[in-house]
Amino acid sequence: MSSSVKSWLLLLPLLVFMILFVGQGMFRAFQESLDVGGSSGIFANYEALAADGTFHAALGVSVYVAFVSTMLSLLLGLLVTRTLTSWMKSDTWKLGAWFPMLIPHFVGAYLILLFFAPTGWFASAAASAGLGFPVMVQDTAYIGVILTYVWKEIPFVVLMLLPVYQEMDGRMQEVSRSLGAGRWTGFRFTEWPWVRPVLLETGLILFVFVIGAFEVPALLGVTYPSMVPVLAFDWFYQSGWSTRPLAQAMMVLLMLGSILLALLLLTTAYRWRERGRSHA
Amino acid sequence: MRSILGWSMLLLVFVVPVLFLFLRSITFGWRYPDLFPSDWSMRAWHVIAGDPQILQALLTTMLVGITVVALNLLLGIPAAYALSHGRLKGVVWLETILFLPILVPVLAIAMGLHITMIRLGLADHISGVILIHLLPTLPYTIRVLRSGFDRIAPGWRRLGDTLGAPRITLFVTGLLPMMRPSLRSAAVLAFVISLSQYVLTAIIGGGQVTTLPLLYYPFFDSADQAVIAGFSVVFAALPAVFLLLWESLMAGFTYLLRRT
Amino acid sequence: MKRYVPLPLLLAAAACADGEGGAEDADTLSEAPWEEIEEAASGAEISMYMWGGDEGINAYMDEVVAPHLEEEYDITFSRQPMDAPEFLSRLMTEREADSMDGSGDILWINGENFRTAKENELLYGSFADMLPNMDYINEEAPYVENDMGTAVEGMQVPWGNVQYAFQFQGAEDPPETMEELLDWAEENPGSMTYPDVSNDTGNGFVRHILHHVAESPEDLAEYDEAWLEENGDDVWETLRELAPHLWREGETYPDSLSQQDQLFADGEVSMTLGFNEHRAESLIEQGTFPEDTETIGLTSGSISSVHYLSMPFNTTEPEAALVAINYMLSPEAQIAKLEPSRWGEGHILDLDAVSSGERDEIEAMVGEEVVPQEDALPELDARYVDWIQDNWEQEVVQQR
Repeated sequence: MSSSVKSWLLLLPLLVFMILFVGQGMFRAFQESLDVGGSSGIFANYEALAADGTFHAALGVSVYVAFVSTMLSLLLGLLVTRTLTSWMKSDTWKLGAWFPMLIPHFVGAYLILLFFAPTGWFASAAASAGLGFPVMVQDTAYIGVILTYVWKEIPFVVLMLLPVYQEMDGRMQEVSRSLGAGRWTGFRFTEWPWVRPVLLETGLILFVFVIGAFEVPALLGVTYPSMVPVLAFDWFYQSGWSTRPLAQAMMVLLMLGSILLALLLLTTAYRWRERGRSHA
Repeated sequence: MRSILGWSMLLLVFVVPVLFLFLRSITFGWRYPDLFPSDWSMRAWHVIAGDPQILQALLTTMLVGITVVALNLLLGIPAAYALSHGRLKGVVWLETILFLPILVPVLAIAMGLHITMIRLGLADHISGVILIHLLPTLPYTIRVLRSGFDRIAPGWRRLGDTLGAPRITLFVTGLLPMMRPSLRSAAVLAFVISLSQYVLTAIIGGGQVTTLPLLYYPFFDSADQAVIAGFSVVFAALPAVFLLLWESLMAGFTYLLRRT
Repeated sequence: MKRYVPLPLLLAAAACADGEGGAEDADTLSEAPWEEIEEAASGAEISMYMWGGDEGINAYMDEVVAPHLEEEYDITFSRQPMDAPEFLSRLMTEREADSMDGSGDILWINGENFRTAKENELLYGSFADMLPNMDYINEEAPYVENDMGTAVEGMQVPWGNVQYAFQFQGAEDPPETMEELLDWAEENPGSMTYPDVSNDTGNGFVRHILHHVAESPEDLAEYDEAWLEENGDDVWETLRELAPHLWREGETYPDSLSQQDQLFADGEVSMTLGFNEHRAESLIEQGTFPEDTETIGLTSGSISSVHYLSMPFNTTEPEAALVAINYMLSPEAQIAKLEPSRWGEGHILDLDAVSSGERDEIEAMVGEEVVPQEDALPELDARYVDWIQDNWEQEVVQQR
């Protein structure tokens, strides 16, 4: 048996499982989003969406929140991993960084509320120091939402990056330093090629997760513009289910966008990794 | 010195907030602008402990979580290995398919999933809930394990071939111990994700399979902050219990390996 | 949940061979005498779909209803905490998959949820006439026949009756009419808000504004599109004028009543609102709301809302569900529900039908009414709820 046939066999149960469940669910969602037998064409719901200002606003704010949270998490996660791998001798520090991963997202959102609300603990602290406190939750800039995601996702980024740093050949860094390379140049040539594909894939996971998650923006977002999942939830249940097809159309679009993005980024990550292998 | 700085940073940003929740759950009427609580009350813990379904829910949650982790590893290890060392054509498409559950909003596919489960006769049953929890967990498990396998150079396999040991023994005694950190991460991650599933559990379990989030989520939709905080503490404690179980299991496994 | 089905009923079900999976339907059961239903109910396990986020309500179900059903009828009762839109969606999928082996036996619903359930044939059927304890309910009351514009037809029975009321903290002279409330908001910028209208409480507030704009409740007695055409703008204009004086200057609204309650508990706003005029009492006791919380029912009119008990089409234990519902309508259960330390919400008993001892007990418990009967406004047609949901965000939130 050739090795590739064997690999396919190892993957088969999973593929069947995914296609059976997710594929069937997606097919149904797509079916529900169509306007069969309506007077205005089978894609009427999609046309309605294209003209809907509320949807545009939701999409805009969703992309903004997902992008900013992802970028900040990646950046800070990289910083934490680099700093702590060089500061700490042992690996036990990981347990500390793991903590936020132990609690669900909605608890994370609740924590942010406890600390950052205008009547939260930081506001109390500011008030006792005679200072004011800015509005950081349920704000149109979605600061609270972004804060929650960053706090929750940094540990995930660390978790994904740590193996890379543990494996990285420390000698390479020493050599580049002895050759007089600056910090940035050193990073650019000794770390970046290995870190890059992992960052891209982790970023993809974070981005699609944030853009599709409901709990955090429901608690810490604003009424308008709301993020796509919150809007979808409202449309899904309100007015005797009459806006449900519209909600499904919106989620189908979100799905297609996410899948395209995944294909694009995974292809890139794959190329980078191959290049890394051929260099090594 | 630096490591002390690192530790205090970690504790302050990541650990203290969670401990703060515990404090919140045992206070009474602690509100703005009091910097520190003045009254204490165990009421929230009485409410939590007094729920007639709480014990059952804790057991169900642990059972579901542990089974989900086991299935994740069972399905995920071969798949991740194949992805990492298989050199497959169309690997990007494969990875995208395996990513699907995180690319697709649960709300959109929930009804389709429910119908499938009814047809399979698994709706309203714990096995259906376990099966459905594989969806949000597997993509992460595969991702984490895959990067673990990636670290193990292909040279290792050649070494195995030269030594002529049967593959499966080698896999268990040689490769898996090397994967220990990745396995731990994957297991805890899968457990936490399974633990926080509300929507999927509610839809597929129909309230017949009462896990902790099913009891807790409605309280989250109330103004009762002490109970919310208390439940959150229970939530954070469960993965810790799981981690302990996992570590003792691994220690036992290593011990057995050494003896044989 | 499927347990053994008693033999006579099994035969009866087999007799009406319509191939519907064998569950007894309402028509078959309605001919059975009540004693037989009680007998058949014995030993069953049933569950009820209901929101589970209030410890008072949960305590009432766990400490009053469940033990009684256990002792009296050997029925094991459990709550399944789930919101109405969620369990209805679930039922809809089960209906589509023809699953007659349902997991819930009793539903707690009203208004637009009842309409959705009825329109999609998710309910068991007409069962109200079977219940002996319907005698304690005033059959003349409009809500028995009509739930927010949807004909009830015996498919659900009233369970509780609550008034919309407002809670204030630290207000010297809290407003007592809608006019005064709007002025109060202007004088106390940032102190007031109301939840998003996809939430029933927020929607209820806007329904009060509809009443405020209407010249008399008569205008809104039935769904009237022409009235909306003509006066809809006044409704939105009132809310738009109110918006800048609200919390966060109307830039955002709490997503749910619980969020608003938290804002109130934290002192970020100084008023909150909602159905059930007694709901603040247990919250004060818990330490969630401050001690000086004061509840006001508007004398300009306060919507009175009834909520109901029903059964899903695919209950596997209809007899036990009927017995449980019947008990929940009894004076005993209704009086226990008035107890403010547990639930503390209004009863639906006909005071002329209960014994004089029970009447005294009720009167002692209810005390002084927060909303006198003459100030109660009828609940609006559920289509008004839709109209508010469909337009509010665009007309009010986006117009800032």
